[in-house]
Parts: sequence; structure tokens; C-alpha cells
Amino acid sequence: MPGDLSRLLNALGLIAVDTVLALALIDQLWFRDLPCPLCILQRGAFFAAGCGLALNLVFGPRPSQYGVTILSAAAGTAISLRQMLIHIAPGSPGYGNAIFGLHLYTWAFIAFALMIVGCAVLLLDDRQFARSDPWSTRLSVLPLTAFALLFVLAVGNVISTVLICGAGLCPEVPAGYLIFNDNLRLTDLAQSP
Amino acid sequence: MMSLPFLLFACGLGATWLRQRGAAMGFWIAGLVVLLVLFRVHMTDVLNIAL
Repeated sequence: MPGDLSRLLNALGLIAVDTVLALALIDQLWFRDLPCPLCILQRGAFFAAGCGLALNLVFGPRPSQYGVTILSAAAGTAISLRQMLIHIAPGSPGYGNAIFGLHLYTWAFIAFALMIVGCAVLLLDDRQFARSDPWSTRLSVLPLTAFALLFVLAVGNVISTVLICGAGLCPEVPAGYLIFNDNLRLTDLAQSP
Repeated sequence: MMSLPFLLFACGLGATWLRQRGAAMGFWIAGLVVLLVLFRVHMTDVLNIAL
């Protein structure tokens, strides 16, 4: 597989990760579907996996960087599987909105599994690692967009998580944005003389 | 606390952009360790159902 094709596939993979994270943020902000602690950790695992793809885009494909994505996806698989098992008991309605009959953590499990399989398939071709000419560090539009979007989403999730959980651990079932309601009472401070 | 993994991964992406591969890998490892520790803390979240 030529290096350019490898870079294109990594960029497309990163765009897919960006799309998942953007949809999760839209679901949170637009449909007011606040993420639970395990949901937040699954988002974190998507970012960790995206770091491996971003490394491949900038430094060229390396087996260790595919390892970054595979290990991160394995962690994400464990977290989403745990959440599926929490809600597998009869009578449990699951957590959050369902899309096409599956909850977001079930879709996350499928996505992490596909990520592991995709990286394993990409690792099968050794030609991408035996590149004689130097790897260009200049990114074209698609990889640059994918990279920049992941960074913006990471910063957005830092802010979102601080607003939901404050400085400590998140409540098991978040009722609202904690930093506005319980911790700092910013609204009360604003109304006080 | 829960925002720490996102912060570390964002720093990792920043280091990647600055072509600091070692720092980027370091931030990724730190982020993954924090993520797994937080997973350990939240692994025993209770199931709220009436049996």
C-alpha cells in the first residue's frame, strides 16, 4: 500500500472518529442528553484512538502508532461492554437516547471493534512502513481538517466535562450542569446584590 | 478530574502538531492511564432497577 493511500485511509478513519464525537456533543447540547461517567470515558477512549491516527498523519504510518489506536480501542471496548452489561438486566431501560434501536454505548462498542479490525487490516501491508523517500509533514486539506476538528472537539469536551462534573468525579446520573446548579451557584451569585 | 483525559489528549495532539513525537506519546500514555483509573472508579456504578 503506498504511503499516500495509507495517509488517506488514516484521514478517513480520523474523520469517522470526529463524526462520532461531534454527534455525541450534538446529542448532549441539542437533545439535552447528558453523558453518564462511563459515556464520558468512552468519549475519552475515542480521543485516545484518534491520537494514534493523528500521529500516523503527521509522522507517517508506524506499527507503534497503530498500536496506540488498537490499545485505545481495546480500552473503549471494555468500557462500553461494561455499560452494556450494566443495562442488560430485565427492566433496565438503558441510558440515554436510542438510535436505530441501539443505545449510544452499544454503537460505541461496535465502533471500537471496527476500529481494531480496521487497524489490523492496515497493519497487514508492510509496504507502507518501507518508504524510501522522506515522509512529507505538510498536511493536505482532508488530514488537516480531521486533525484540527479532533483538537477542537477535545477542548470542547474539556469544557463540557468541567461544566457537568466540576473538579471531582461525575454523578452516576447527571441531572444538569453541576457547575451552574450545585457547586458554584453562579446564577445565585449573579442575582445577589 | 473527569476532564483530565481530554486535557491530556488535547496536549498530545498539540505536541503532535509541534512535531514532538516523544511528548505526544507521553501525553497519550498518561491520558490512557488516567482513563483506566477513572474506569476502575466508575466500574461499580450501581444498576437502578427494581427486581
